Amino acid sequence: MARFAAGWRKYRKPGYYDEFDYAWTMSIDLDRCTGCGACVTACQAENNIPIVGEKGIRNGREMQWMRVERYWEGEYPNAKLSFIPMLCQHCDTAPCETVCPVSATYHNQDGLNVQVYNRCIGTRSCAVYCPYEVRYFNYNDHHWPKPLDQQLNPDVSVREKGVMEKCTFCVQRIRQAKDHAKDDGRRRVVDGEMQPACVQTCPAEALVFGDRNDANSKVSRSMNDPRAYHVLEELNTSPSVVYLKKVDADAG
Amino acid sequence: MASNALGLFHDPESALDAAGRLKDAGFARPEIMSPIPIHGVEDVLGPKKSVIKRFTLFGGIFGGLAGFTLAAGTAVLYLHPTGGRPIIAIPPFLIISYEMTILCGILATVLGFLISARFPAIRERIYVPATAIDKFAVTVPCDSGESYGRAETILRTAGAEEVQRIGEDGP
Amino acid sequence: MPADEQSLQFSDVNDDVVRSLVETGRNYYIALGVAIFVTLACFFFPWFYQLRYGIAAAGNNHPAVWGTYLASFIFWIGLSHSGTLLSCVLHITNSEWRKAMYRSAEAMTLFSLLVAATMVMVHVGRPWFIHWAAPYPNQMELWPNFRSPLLFDVMAITTYLTGSLIFIYMGSIPDFAAVRDRTTGWRHHMYVLLSLGWRGTDTEWHRLGWAYTFLAVLIIPLAVSVHSIVSWDFAMSIVPGLHQTIFAPYFVVGAIYSGTAGIVTVMFVLRKYMGFEHYITKLHFDNLGKLLIVLSLIWTYINVLELFTGWYSGTSTEYEQLKYKLFGFYAPLYWEMILFCSAVPLLMLSRRIRTSFFPMLLISIAVNIGMYTERFLIVATTQVRQYLPDRWGTYVPSLVEISIIVGSLAMFTTLFLLFVKIFPSVSIYEIKETMDAPKKGKSEWQATH
Repeated sequence: MARFAAGWRKYRKPGYYDEFDYAWTMSIDLDRCTGCGACVTACQAENNIPIVGEKGIRNGREMQWMRVERYWEGEYPNAKLSFIPMLCQHCDTAPCETVCPVSATYHNQDGLNVQVYNRCIGTRSCAVYCPYEVRYFNYNDHHWPKPLDQQLNPDVSVREKGVMEKCTFCVQRIRQAKDHAKDDGRRRVVDGEMQPACVQTCPAEALVFGDRNDANSKVSRSMNDPRAYHVLEELNTSPSVVYLKKVDADAG
Repeated sequence: MASNALGLFHDPESALDAAGRLKDAGFARPEIMSPIPIHGVEDVLGPKKSVIKRFTLFGGIFGGLAGFTLAAGTAVLYLHPTGGRPIIAIPPFLIISYEMTILCGILATVLGFLISARFPAIRERIYVPATAIDKFAVTVPCDSGESYGRAETILRTAGAEEVQRIGEDGP
Repeated sequence: MPADEQSLQFSDVNDDVVRSLVETGRNYYIALGVAIFVTLACFFFPWFYQLRYGIAAAGNNHPAVWGTYLASFIFWIGLSHSGTLLSCVLHITNSEWRKAMYRSAEAMTLFSLLVAATMVMVHVGRPWFIHWAAPYPNQMELWPNFRSPLLFDVMAITTYLTGSLIFIYMGSIPDFAAVRDRTTGWRHHMYVLLSLGWRGTDTEWHRLGWAYTFLAVLIIPLAVSVHSIVSWDFAMSIVPGLHQTIFAPYFVVGAIYSGTAGIVTVMFVLRKYMGFEHYITKLHFDNLGKLLIVLSLIWTYINVLELFTGWYSGTSTEYEQLKYKLFGFYAPLYWEMILFCSAVPLLMLSRRIRTSFFPMLLISIAVNIGMYTERFLIVATTQVRQYLPDRWGTYVPSLVEISIIVGSLAMFTTLFLLFVKIFPSVSIYEIKETMDAPKKGKSEWQATH
């Protein structure tokens, strides 16, 4: 009876986890970001993201797990451009996770929103539910004509048509770092030991990645910045991506 | 020789009348065959108990419990935390058990119907095709030639167009 | 009781229905042939192309990942709400006028559900794995996610399909018995099996009556829940335009509305081409017309509510959605929907129009076109205009999608054409119940004794 009550309490806890093993968080400093798009390219290279081609882009089927959103204000010569890199926010209360009928997306103990490619049957409800619209669907099979197939990352699968994909915080690198840490004698992954491809590439060091459970990590310190905010905070998605507001010298 | 007396009637009132008279005369419960359900059968021949509603009730209760167990049990068997919700989320699982309640209620009602009306009919039973069109038939089992004669008289007095004698297992 | 039914005998009903089953004219075979050809050419052939080349064959993109397949799915499920739900409600209220048309209406429900199920298979990216959405023990030890609104959908539609099939079958058992006696060959054997040995005894009628009533009482809350659950596929998201509590009543009302219009269309066709002029009369069209008016007014009211809440919220994304719906890229479709679903049905306020067959056919088709547009708009306008303006876009259905929609309609027609030759499409015993029963008279024997 007591076991039943304990089980009931455990399974009735929202989110199930008492705490995350590592609470992977990314912080994006919009003041440092130059909008160069190196993160987009790095992500594409690391994660075998297909080149959709001109026709695909014209049809609106671009595949960019990390994308740079651009917003223009005003007309030339007084046009102002704001941009923001947008990627999967790995929300703790992700709307996309609840709706998958086959549990192809769920929250793992590292606080990551995980996509299981081989379970996905392609209902695309997760993409509809995502308010950040960061989920990308493989509308067709993609090909890497020789010798481009040589550039594919062997640690990451190539997705077939009909499967949904999105940013994974380079989970293959996280997994590798955790394995190395374990081999090294059961230690924890050190802050800065592992970075997703976008964070590694950013020339302005606008992207910072780490464990927010660790109070001394670089990303925890970014979160304490008074400029910190979440995109679409009012939706209560509890995202794991923190943006640092750009200080605008021209505004008011 | 055991047999059945069957009387064909033109209208439902005569058939009901005949059935009532047969019952009063001491015969076993007559059966009335008709193309449409006749009202007033229970007044003449006595009330019928319906056991179907018990099937429906138990089917529904079973379905409700089974639905919740299915949803909660499978959620616990392979833990997949999603969207910051608990593993056993009550509102979605109540919807699942609601649907299962209705599904099992429906299936149980069908089962109850088949059992209580003794369907499907494996052996031949007494049947006159005219009753599917516009005639009403009253049948009653007779265990001897003498009782058949009595039954025939009652049926004809009540207005039967035709009276047949049918063997035990059908025409 | 309409004048032309006074001279109708019980035996005429049997004759008419058996004739409708057994006699097939050239026109029937031509219609069936065309329907099957269009199904194969416009549904299966493009679908196989899409299976080979991926959902790229459809006009979907990012952000519009859902398209006409899902809109069609919702439409067909909505159409299915007419038959069984209406039949059950009218049975509980002991309505006379339901008796002639409910069999075909229930068949419409069944086939709409089947077509809707195929639309799901067309919509999904990897349909060869669609069985993973069903709860069955497997070696992966995986189960579907019962917290998902799509799973509520699976359970609800399975239950509704089973319930509709059982309901139409149970109501038809006496009719199968009546038809069994008059047919020969393969038909006879089929009806012998289907009628289960029904003889029409008072015991059997009693049991059938109770079972049928229980089924009707169970199916009414089921049907209301099914389309509510389908609406929650949308309403449980948090994107603007979809995340609205009004969706459940909106969809249920819309479903009954579109379904009733579907019944009017089917009744017109049955009446004209199956020789059922005596049974499907102006009375039925009149009553269906009154029902349509009520539903049209409720539907209009709910739309006004949506507009009001969007406007009242001020400058939120809901207001942006509203402006886009009314004045954006899809504005012509929105106003066409309002015309066909709110304005045109008002014509039915006139009794003359309600009791004229051809105008009712036109109005019912217009209503269904408008309702399909409504489903399409819900899917299209809400996805292309969400929170992040960088992701705004447009969605135009491709030729493959339009062809599949046409093909699904042909598939429904094929199933219905097959149905009218196998099932008695008008309920024999219920029609007889509406007619005067034979009167008590003197038999020959009584006259001479």
